[in-house]
Amino acid sequence: MSWKLWSLKKSPWVFHVNTGACNNCDIEIVDLLTPKFDVERFGIKLVGSPRHADALLVTGGVTAQAAPRLREVYRQTPKPCVVFCIGACACDKGIFTTGYHMVGPVDKIIREIDPTAIIAYVPGCPPKPEAMISGIVQALSAL
Amino acid sequence: MDQEELNKKLSEIKDKLISIESAAGGVDNRVCLSCEAENAYAVNKFLFEDVPLRFVIATGIDSDDCFEVLYHYAYDEIGCMITLKAFIRDRENPTIESIALFLPGAEWIEREIHDILGIGFKNHPDMRRLILADDWPEGVYPLRKDAKKPAERPDGEPSTRPTVQTQSPARRTVPLAKPIVVVGPFHPLQEEMEFFQLTVDGEIVTDIDMRISYNHRGIEKISESLQFDQVPFLVSRICGICSASHPLAYVQAVEELASITPPERALYVRTIINELERIHSHILWVGLAGHFIGYDTVFMWAWKYREPVLDLLEEITGNRNNYGNVKVGGCREDIPNELKPKILKEMDKLEKKMNMLTKAVLDDPVLHARLKGVGVLSKEDAIKYAVTGPTARASGIAIDVRRDDPYAAYADLDWNVITQPEGDVFAKAVVRLLEVLEAIKIVKQAVKKLPDGPVAVEVREIPPGEAVGHSEAPRGETFHYVRSDGGNRPVRHKVRAPSFVNVPSFRASCIGEHIADVTITLAAVDPCYSCTERLAVVDQRSNVIHDYEALLRLSRDKTAQLKKEIKN
Repeated sequence: MSWKLWSLKKSPWVFHVNTGACNNCDIEIVDLLTPKFDVERFGIKLVGSPRHADALLVTGGVTAQAAPRLREVYRQTPKPCVVFCIGACACDKGIFTTGYHMVGPVDKIIREIDPTAIIAYVPGCPPKPEAMISGIVQALSAL
Repeated sequence: MDQEELNKKLSEIKDKLISIESAAGGVDNRVCLSCEAENAYAVNKFLFEDVPLRFVIATGIDSDDCFEVLYHYAYDEIGCMITLKAFIRDRENPTIESIALFLPGAEWIEREIHDILGIGFKNHPDMRRLILADDWPEGVYPLRKDAKKPAERPDGEPSTRPTVQTQSPARRTVPLAKPIVVVGPFHPLQEEMEFFQLTVDGEIVTDIDMRISYNHRGIEKISESLQFDQVPFLVSRICGICSASHPLAYVQAVEELASITPPERALYVRTIINELERIHSHILWVGLAGHFIGYDTVFMWAWKYREPVLDLLEEITGNRNNYGNVKVGGCREDIPNELKPKILKEMDKLEKKMNMLTKAVLDDPVLHARLKGVGVLSKEDAIKYAVTGPTARASGIAIDVRRDDPYAAYADLDWNVITQPEGDVFAKAVVRLLEVLEAIKIVKQAVKKLPDGPVAVEVREIPPGEAVGHSEAPRGETFHYVRSDGGNRPVRHKVRAPSFVNVPSFRASCIGEHIADVTITLAAVDPCYSCTERLAVVDQRSNVIHDYEALLRLSRDKTAQLKKEIKN
């Protein structure tokens, strides 16, 4: 295991990117940090800048206005990084598939600029906090 | 003024109208006026200034032979909804006079209608793009009936119309006279994306500009392609925290349209779910507000108190958020009677905790010093910007859809509308905290009174017609307008979330504030989007760039300093 990968897997710091979600996945992500789930116990920490992050938690099906910003955030994140598609919208645009303003889903936008990106999917509307923890653990163990 | 006097007052402008229809659609407190586009300005001015009515929203519709702009007003004393229909006959070059000059609350919706339907508004103060993306081509209007299918992207050159003043120093072509603070579009704590530009003079904010569209998903268009029964699932995903009140407002509109009366038990179940939602939403806000001013203990404790409410909702509806429980004609799932004692027990526990938290906030001298007089929205401004919900009630306007136009089971229960006259951030916090206690009271009564019987009636078909429905979401009045042509899908479905009118009021509440107070002022209306992350202050004189963390630190330092001063 390279030292880069080793450091990625320990205490992953995450940055939260909303690309046009309905807040549900987002408040559940914040919920992870508060006393009931408290993922900071495992060293998972929400950071304020993508430059500090090991992983991106992306929610929402990517609106036309958000797509260039998502690409920019991904460019700013140090590699290797893991992109987590949180929720049905991020995985495949969910109920908003037919919207004229939707250009996603997330993996399509990310692969446009980095075909080898590491992308993990946590489906659900919204996924329960337990599901998100399980998704993060599974993805990191698979690396 | 009762219904009769209102009708008399409305008939004063009869000569400018085509028709007046009271009890529109067979419902008592609904009035429908119609006029030609040329007279719309005068009639609107009369309705807003002389009657006076509260502006709710406007809806643009592409009918077969003309364009319609519907202006929705409310007369809250008797819970009456008034709709003014203005017909624009010129399809080639549709224009109508803007009402934003005397009604700033209509500025955004006129920009939106221009974006999605291409209707021009004469004399509008600021006709920049609002709702569509920067690269959306000019002259393509997604809500026109001849527009492409919803999923297809339009062809054409991207628009070059400006959307915000300037974006970053690198892209700036002319030097700015004043430094600009950029807010957004990403934020790790709150929900959606949002972009703000604050023009500052030293520490003082002198202007504020906003750009939305990051979260525009085209829900109104998607709704036209869904069946009446599928729409609640879509509208509950407009906003995850209002996922009970949006479908409820929609369902009430359709029930009004089709004259359906849901069974009584369904009304109580709706009440309980909506109030549980209000409780968890308000507690969520209290936590975030605590975080913004450096009280992280409040953040953690508030979110801890919120968990049992989510667990209850999960037990009742099967999901922590996005309940999908309300449908046309009733509810999908019943509350099992065995669950009643548990709900009551949890509410008792929560009441104790919330009493403690409310007392802690109201008695804290630091919070008094930090939040009183900050971000004041005066009553006059609140009326002009047509704000709703706790934002309006904290400015001394006693409006609440639950009391004014009772729906669900609210009329049978005993509760109070909380108002505060000051209009500052502290008043907004007090209103929300006390509303949680009221909501607990409502849930307890509703659970105790829960009548027996079915929770849904069978719905066969939806007749042609139109109706409005509104409900009191945690953030304010949620408004839905539905038009049906007798088919199985709505031909037009307009949604107005409370934040759409609450957010523009930042113009009135943020200008003149210190930068350190802006985070909490922006957060005080509980806006349904993200705003405070990645604020970057660009000060041209010193070339210092502050980021979001620096601004959060500024806000927290101010609290810490006050704490010290109070101790001495």
